[in-house]
Amino acid sequence: MSNVLVIGETDGSEIKGISQQVASVAAGMGEVTGLVIGSGISEAGMKLSVAKIIMADDTSLENYDPVKYASIASHIVKEHNIETILLGATSMGKDLGPRLAAELNCGYLGDCLEAGSEGFVRPNFAGKVLAKSNPTGTIVATIRNNAYPAGEAWSGSVENYSGEIAESTLKTTDIENVGSGTVELTEAAIVVSGGRGLENAENYDSMIRPLAESMGAAAGASRAIVDAGWVPHSHQVGQTGKTVAPELYLAIGISGAIQHLGGMSGSKCIAAINKDPDAPIFKVADYGIVGDLFEILPILKSKF
Amino acid sequence: MNIAVLIKMVPDTESKLEVNDGALNDQNFKYMVNPYDEFAVEQAVQFKEAEGGKVTLLSLFSENNSIDTDLRKMLAIGADEIVVLRQEGYRGDKPLANAKTLSDAIKELDVDLVLCGIQGIDYYQSATGTMVAQMLGIPNISGVTNLEYNSGTLKAKRQIEGGLQTVETSTPALISCQKDMNKVRFPALKDIMMSKRKPFENKKVDSIDSNDPITSESSLPPARDGGEMIDGENAEDKVKKLIEKLKMEAKVI
Ligand SMILES: Cc1cc2nc3c(=O)[nH]c(=O)nc-3n(C[C@H](O)[C@H](O)[C@H](O)COP(=O)(O)OP(=O)(O)OC[C@H]3O[C@@H](n4cnc5c(N)ncnc54)[C@H](O)[C@@H]3O)c2cc1C
Repeated sequence: MSNVLVIGETDGSEIKGISQQVASVAAGMGEVTGLVIGSGISEAGMKLSVAKIIMADDTSLENYDPVKYASIASHIVKEHNIETILLGATSMGKDLGPRLAAELNCGYLGDCLEAGSEGFVRPNFAGKVLAKSNPTGTIVATIRNNAYPAGEAWSGSVENYSGEIAESTLKTTDIENVGSGTVELTEAAIVVSGGRGLENAENYDSMIRPLAESMGAAAGASRAIVDAGWVPHSHQVGQTGKTVAPELYLAIGISGAIQHLGGMSGSKCIAAINKDPDAPIFKVADYGIVGDLFEILPILKSKF
Repeated sequence: MNIAVLIKMVPDTESKLEVNDGALNDQNFKYMVNPYDEFAVEQAVQFKEAEGGKVTLLSLFSENNSIDTDLRKMLAIGADEIVVLRQEGYRGDKPLANAKTLSDAIKELDVDLVLCGIQGIDYYQSATGTMVAQMLGIPNISGVTNLEYNSGTLKAKRQIEGGLQTVETSTPALISCQKDMNKVRFPALKDIMMSKRKPFENKKVDSIDSNDPITSESSLPPARDGGEMIDGENAEDKVKKLIEKLKMEAKVI
């Protein structure tokens, strides 16, 4: 059993779901210490489900800064003889993880699907290949959202970080919420994605978005329609977009090119609507409807 | 402003992925410029056009020179020179070792800014750029969709969950580029011709030991069987059956 550090993230007065998932992974790996960094985070940070929590709470830490955050984490790793450092594979985790690994001169494994004493499994080639490793020595790993169930919120003992915080030239000047109220693609339980079969941007906005909204789903897209400018790249699913693994992936008017499949074939259930019975998407779909999406979508929408 | 752009050559997205005895067969891979890195090249050239200076492309790869033609195309976008670090036994899945080799090479260039793509579409670690920044002792901003430069100050917007974080810093810094950052130009014929005369240097570098974890076993994810085609009298009927199955069989809604 080794000493494990979980670096948690807060969202307002709550600890993020992904951080609780990471905490439950860590619980099986050894003696766990939690670290939460931010400003005014004590209420949320306390909820991280680990026995001992170190809180680095300072106004200068309000927004994620790789230089400052990595300096705090590496200080704690050295002080507590930590060998395994786990973070969620979020925009922060995927940046802080490698920076911290470089600072510690240790290995890094990103976006792991499995992590435990039997080893780590992570996707290569957008999930088309799974790579297993059994690292020895210190390791930093980020864990993919929804790969593990979340641990329950409870409070362990709390300690305040009193070590140094590195100087940084980075300054966050704005946080902009785009598409607030919509569900984040990589965190969604259901993803409704549209492709070129929709014919134009207006149809995407009037058919895919409302369906996604009424299903409580995130709206995704193929690259073809991102390149056509119908939707921003943040919606793109696939090898050069986001990798998603929801409970349900609904592919509408998407052919199922290999680069698209790379980003969604880890979904628990895939349903596809396409007018071409030979579309490759049907080779991976659990359920398929061959038909005209313009006829099917309004009916589907009326059911939610 | 002098800029270094890190370029990774990655297996073509159409590459056949075969696993034999737990090892990925990479013998027949054809390589292409990592798509995210092209945004970095375009951004560097735009800064050069506005501010002057030099754009150096830096790539770490094996002795295999089948990549040279594709790499040279990046010069046609407007970069000034390429340095390819040739390393025997190079592997794309060793970010710590590769970041060390790259950062040593960057130290020899006199640059204010390092640009790279947010991730390689081979191993998806998003690690090398961030590690290079740490090793150079400079700040990094990752997943940037918009980058401005104004007399010594960089202003970057980076994608975060549900929004955008605007971050400013002075140079030197490392920025990893996300897709929406710009539109990569199609070079004019004259730029393609000119690119053939631009410096393309091959530099031998030693392979180094590192703490990168070694993949002990590769496997292909369980193949998904084609599922069930839903029949029905009409669209209404098909939709009804689909919803029924999603609820009762798959239990996902
Ligand atoms: C380096 C590289 C990286 C790439 N990365 C990605 C990536 O990350 N993600 C990605 O998605 N793609 C990616 N691609 C692009 C990919 O190869 C495909 O071109 C793209 O996925 C096709 O998008 P599509 O399915 O929307 O369009 P199409 O392939 O044109 O398919 C449209 C589908 O809609 C169906 N259709 C048309 N009309 C109707 C109708 N009325 N009712 C029902 N169905 C209808 C058609 O039968 C067809 O199957 C990449 C390509 C390359 C070369």
